This record gives sequence, C-alpha cells and structure tokens, in this order.
Amino acid sequence: MIDLIQNTIDGVMIGSSYGLLALGFTLIFGVMRRLDLAYGPSIMIGAYFGTILYLHYGAGPFAVAIAVVIGAAIAGIYVERLCFAPMKAGAAIASMVSSFAIWMQLEQAALLVLPRHTYPFPPLSTGAPLAFGPFLVRIDHLIMLVSTLGLTAVVHLTLHRTRFGLALRAIIGNPVAAHLVGIDVRRAVLVAFAGASSVGGAAGFLVLAVDQQVTPMFGMWATMKGLIAMMIGGLGSVPGAVVGGVLLGIVEAHSQWYFGPQIRDLVAYFLLFAFLVVRPRGLLGCPPDSVLPQKA
Amino acid sequence: MDDHVIGVLSNIGVVSFVALSAYLLLLTGEISFGQQAFFAIGAYGAGVATALWGWPLAAALAWGAAIGGAVAMLVGMPTLRLHGLYFAVATLAFAEMVRILFELFRYQVSIDGELVGPNGGEGFRNIRYVFDHNIDAFQFLLLIYLLLAAALLGFVLLERSRLGVIFRMIGEDETLAGLQGISVVRHRVLAAGIAGSLAGIGGGLYAHLTTYVEPRIFDVMLGVHSLAYGLIGGLGTALGPLLGVVIDIGLLESIRALAGYRMIIFGGFVALLLIVRPRGLLDETTVHRLGRGWRQIFPWPRRPNLNRRGNNA
Repeated sequence: MIDLIQNTIDGVMIGSSYGLLALGFTLIFGVMRRLDLAYGPSIMIGAYFGTILYLHYGAGPFAVAIAVVIGAAIAGIYVERLCFAPMKAGAAIASMVSSFAIWMQLEQAALLVLPRHTYPFPPLSTGAPLAFGPFLVRIDHLIMLVSTLGLTAVVHLTLHRTRFGLALRAIIGNPVAAHLVGIDVRRAVLVAFAGASSVGGAAGFLVLAVDQQVTPMFGMWATMKGLIAMMIGGLGSVPGAVVGGVLLGIVEAHSQWYFGPQIRDLVAYFLLFAFLVVRPRGLLGCPPDSVLPQKA
Repeated sequence: MDDHVIGVLSNIGVVSFVALSAYLLLLTGEISFGQQAFFAIGAYGAGVATALWGWPLAAALAWGAAIGGAVAMLVGMPTLRLHGLYFAVATLAFAEMVRILFELFRYQVSIDGELVGPNGGEGFRNIRYVFDHNIDAFQFLLLIYLLLAAALLGFVLLERSRLGVIFRMIGEDETLAGLQGISVVRHRVLAAGIAGSLAGIGGGLYAHLTTYVEPRIFDVMLGVHSLAYGLIGGLGTALGPLLGVVIDIGLLESIRALAGYRMIIFGGFVALLLIVRPRGLLDETTVHRLGRGWRQIFPWPRRPNLNRRGNNA
C-alpha cells in the first residue's frame, strides 16, 4: 500500500513535467493546426545552451534555466520562420515533414557543438528528500510540480485576461476572421510560437535538472512524451495537457515499478493507442466550437 | 561494380519499399508514421522462415509480405475512424508497441548446436540463407530491383486503374467519394493491407541483405524518413518516393566528405524545398506536364479512357 501511494506521488511529480511539455505543444498546435515535430529538439537546443554556460562559465541553476528558456525560444522562432510561416494554407503535411527535417538538423548541430554523447546538467537541489510520514518527496520534484502549476496558471491567464490572449484565441478560432478584424496574425503566431517553446524550455530544464545529464536524444524524448500527454489530455486543451501529463506520469510510475522500463514504454504507447481508438478527443478535449477546437 | 556501390544500391532498393508503402497511404490521404512496424514484421517473419524453419527465400518473402499485410489490415480496422494527426499518432503508437514487443520477443531454436532466432533486444543474428546458398551481393541486388520493378509496375497499373482513381478520390474528399457509392471503409483497409505487404517484402529483403536485425532499427526515425521520402521526391508518381530515397541515401550518405554535416545540409535543403514545392519535386502538376510533353512526341499508345467503367479495371 505504501509502495502504491509512493509510486503515485512520484508519478504525479514526474507527470507534471510531461504536462508542461504537452502545454507548449498544445499551444503550438492550437495556433498552427499543424504538428511541430521539431518541438522537442528546439528544447534540446536550449538545453545545450544551458549546458555550455554550466560547463564553461560555471553558471548556477537559475542562469542555466534562463539560458535554456531563451535558447528554446530562439530555436522555436527558427523553426516557425522556416517550416510554418512560409507554407501555404493547404500544406500541413509539408510543414510537418519540414519540421522533421529541421529536427535532424538541430540534432546534428548539437552533436557538432558538443560531440560527446552525454553532458552533465546542473542539479536543481541536492538536499535530502522531504519526509511526509512514510512517504518521501524529492525537493526538485516539488519545484517541478509548483513550476508546472504556476506556468499553467500564467498561460491560462495570458489566454483569458490579456488583449494578446484574446487575439490568440481569435486566431485559434478562425485565422481569417481574426485577420479581418485587424489582428496581425503572422506576428501573433510568431510570438505564440516563441512563448510555447519557452514553456517547453522550462519543462526541459526541470526534467534535465532532475536527470542531471543531457544527450541529443532528449529532443526525441521530449517530442514523444509531450505528444502522448497532449493526445491523452485532449488536443488543444490547456488543462487537458496538464491532466494528460499527470495521468501518463502515474501510469508510467506504476508500470515501471511492477514490470520494468520496457513494459513501462509499452504501456504508455498502449494507453495512447487505446485513447485514440476509443476516445480520440482525449480526457478534456473541447467540443469543436469552443476556444481550442479539437479538429485536426 | 565495387562492393560499396552495390551496398548503397541495395540499401536504396530496400528502403524504397517502405517509402512506397508510406506513399500509397499518402495517396489515400492518410499520414502514417508507422510503416516501419510492417517492415519489422516482414524482416522478422522472413528471417524466422529461412533461418529457423528452413523455408526457401521466395516462400519466406511471400510469408513476410503476407503477415505484414494481414497485421496492417487488422490495425487498419480500429483506426479507420481516425484522420489526419489522430491517425498519424495512432500509427506511431502502434509501431512503437511493435518495436518494444520485438525487444521482448525470444524464439530461439538450436540448429547445428548453435542457438538461432530472435533474442529480444540483442537482435536476430545469422540470417544466413544468402551465404548458405552462394548468392553473391550482385545477384541479391538484382533480386531486390526485380521485386522493386514489379512493385513499380503495380503502381503504374494502379494509377491507370479504377482502383487507383478510387484511392486518390478518397484522398481528395472522403465524403464525396462515399457519396459516389464507393465503400470508403473497404478501400482504406485494402490500401492499408497493400501498404503493409509492400513494407513486409522490403523487410524480408532487408533481413537477408544484412543477415542481422534488431528492434532498434525499426524506430520512429525510419517511419518519418519513409514518409518524408515521398514528400521530397513528389506525390505525383510512384517514382517520387524513389527519388527521395536516392537523394537521401544515394547522394548524401555516400559522399563521405559531408560526414558530420550531412543532416545540416539535408535538413536545410528539405525545409527550403518544401517551401517552394510543398508536394515534392515530382508533384501532380509536374507529372501531368511531363506526361503531356511525352504524348506530344509519342502520341501512342492512347491513354486509357477512364470515363467508361470496367474498361481498364
């Protein structure tokens, strides 16, 4: 019983970072209606920025976090300019394949700059885990959970309480109509893309600070985890992304505990497949005419 | 021909099967990230057939194609309702499940005092049919291209047939196709099955070409690459995906001077190309123009008349 609860706690903590990854992903999908496969690799580029600062200048966790976020945003802007902005309206597949090509490019660029397979990443906290009765909670996990909740709130408030958020919701609802009422769609999309990549960068920093190492494979990992959590939670839904991430985290923690890492991944993909077949709109996918439509 | 050239050409031929498989689904309007699963199933199936069961190569390749196609149809059914991104992600999830299952799959038999067969994450070594039967690399290359030519001929006939028109019609507008009295469900499952067997044949050839397969080869990268090949080379003709494979493997992988920068160049090239030509180099318009030019020089044989039903099905 104690194991069960402890695993669930760990799952929620890890899952919150999946949720944050999915949050950035879902924002990009919401404004683009296209899949950005280079989302994870952009975060990986940000992480390499941070690692370089850490390795060569001994930067602390806070400076590294800022470097990761800025690096991810810059890489995100590069992807948007090259793969999404110049594409015609009907070329959704071309955008997706193009973002895949840029994924390959970013991965190779990372290998050229830092050719070893793994590099150290600064830890967030090295203190002993906090004890709540029989249960242990790692401090960096707790920071992860709090950051996720905080950033989700920031994204939610930005979308619903600011003029820019209103403009974004208008674009998500109908880009042509948004353009007609005088919204600068291309600029707003670019800003949203950079913002979403920054959210992803924050998620990437939190995950890597727990792992304390970074590899070029992190890009693929982030894209896959973000994708699974986003689809389970409901494509285009902001709260859904977080809920989907937490659910994925809990399921992974339990299957890892009982069956090991291979079955854990199998279970995660099975969960995704089952959701798509039985309930494609996910847990909290909105009905088509509300703020973030689930239509592909 | 020297060994390096034969190796590169064999690789191009084998990968072309997966690219054609993804291309066929693109024709029916579906994006699949998961064709590598059927490539893997074909590879393991054909490898087990020759190495463990002692089947001849032809039977083993047919078996790989059959189970590739059968599994593809089985997966096609529950995912039929899905479209676009949902379908793409479902195929991705399925393919990753297949990959992990092969990592857990152990089926080893002692042959001549040696354990042979798939051994989980260690892979499946010693698929030695080609060695044991003294087939040299060049002969195997011929076999690959013979089968590839047959597949391409199939595509040419398909494009000229009623079935091909139906596939493209479903790809353009499924509702409209349904209103014309076409059974969309049946044709989508059929397309999935054909695509699965194509990938299965490719997998069988791959297993016998390299004599060794392991689950790691069949990851998402292979799937997204094979999808990208069609889009780079063009969606207008089955030669498009082949062109994509040739550009990637033939040009870039074989030019050693580019090592280390290959993906920087290839990635940038593809991204820029897709801005200018979102449906690839040989897109429908280009193919149509080329065909018209060709018919002006060689006006015979006449293009079949698609208006009359049954004429050329």
